[in-house]
Amino acid sequence: MENISETNKDINNKDINTNSRKNGVKIVAFLCNWCSYAGADSAGTSRLRQPEDIRIIRVPCSGRINPLFVLKALTQGADGVLVSGCHPNDCHYSDGNFYARRRLEILKEFLPVIGIDERRFSYQWVSASEGQKWQKVVINFVKRIREIQG
Amino acid sequence: MQQENSVEKKLKEKIREVFDGFELVIGYSQSKIPLKVNPLFIKGKEEIDGLIFNKLCINNLATYSYALSNELKGKIGIVLKPCDARSVSQLISEELLNKDRVKSIVVGCAGILDYKKIYKEIGGLKIISADIKDEQIIIDTIDESFTLEAKNFYAGKCYSCKIYDNPPYYDEFIENESKLNIEQENEYEDVEKFEKLNLEEINAFWDLQFGKCIRCYACRNICPLEICRDKCIAQLDVPHWQSQKINSAEGKFFQLIRVFHLAGRCTECGECERVCPANIQIMKLMKKVNKDVLKLFNYRPGYNLDEKPPLLTFKNVEKNIKEEELI
Repeated sequence: MENISETNKDINNKDINTNSRKNGVKIVAFLCNWCSYAGADSAGTSRLRQPEDIRIIRVPCSGRINPLFVLKALTQGADGVLVSGCHPNDCHYSDGNFYARRRLEILKEFLPVIGIDERRFSYQWVSASEGQKWQKVVINFVKRIREIQG
Repeated sequence: MQQENSVEKKLKEKIREVFDGFELVIGYSQSKIPLKVNPLFIKGKEEIDGLIFNKLCINNLATYSYALSNELKGKIGIVLKPCDARSVSQLISEELLNKDRVKSIVVGCAGILDYKKIYKEIGGLKIISADIKDEQIIIDTIDESFTLEAKNFYAGKCYSCKIYDNPPYYDEFIENESKLNIEQENEYEDVEKFEKLNLEEINAFWDLQFGKCIRCYACRNICPLEICRDKCIAQLDVPHWQSQKINSAEGKFFQLIRVFHLAGRCTECGECERVCPANIQIMKLMKKVNKDVLKLFNYRPGYNLDEKPPLLTFKNVEKNIKEEELI
């Protein structure tokens, strides 16, 4: 438990505002049902504080995510998009995230050419037991998007 | 009417020789409009005389391959340039075409002139006649006549062409005595230059470009690899991906749909940009993705029948992908 409370202290020290109403940004997160969604859930049940700027959309698998989902969100007003799935080799459907990795990497490389900052998009691997990792990912990603927003 | 050149003669001979097995052969024919050619659908032997092949044959006839191979039952022959053969090869490698029913008759290429570039140069004057002699284009308009150096008016893809007499895929190959003879540029030079601009400049550029888009869908319909047509998500009601509004955001999003449908598949024939009535520089987007696909997966669409398109397959360990850590 010590570890967790330390991270919580960390948030306060670094002055990450968890209240999105104040200087919040809008971030859409696509989480796979089997790992990352459960990971985010476990972060919640273990009461790890996170910024509230993230809106989570649950998808069956990271392989379900069409790059156009991300582009649609970004062109329609989302400040950032986060995609998270099972670690490679751990996919519930055995290879969905391998396909996703290739697509999303192409997407990430492509974003600057149509005038979108590539830092607004990230894909991560978070497993069901990694509540703490999820917290860190969210904190860092929100921080980065807030920096871009200025 | 231009004089018959030696390639045309060889092409006609070849087609006469093999015609009996085919239900349809698609080639080029003379158009009444100067600097343009028409596609020719040959169903009987007597129509073979109408065939031509010269520096104006810019159309990619592979566009017809998928639709016609579904419609017709017999064998289809298509006259292709080496670069167009890539499109057929890509479709075959994706198992969208049957190798035994669609035969490519590839003709060696001496470079293709882009009529859009010529129109721009002469300022849109009405052309009465055009003649191409070696490396010179002689154009008569109502008011004045022009003599243009051909080397400045080739299609964009010709400047980085390495396969003009060495097609990656063919059933019949007809060699051309005249060869492509222009200074070669780096394949992705223009994309690299474009990438160096900052985001504001890029946004301003695309706003201007896609502000012109009327979404006629010509780019999609001409594309040899976009075989979705009726199933295109841009025209679906549920889910409603795109509204019918005409503005730069919608135009841009339609192109993004195309880009990701063609990621790792686009053979860079440049037809989408050629048919665009608003002259939008679409190929920049297509080339950017192809550049990344080459960098990440070392894959060029349309060169190898046995290789699977990179986004339809995967490796457990991706050497070239560096995943970003957010912790």
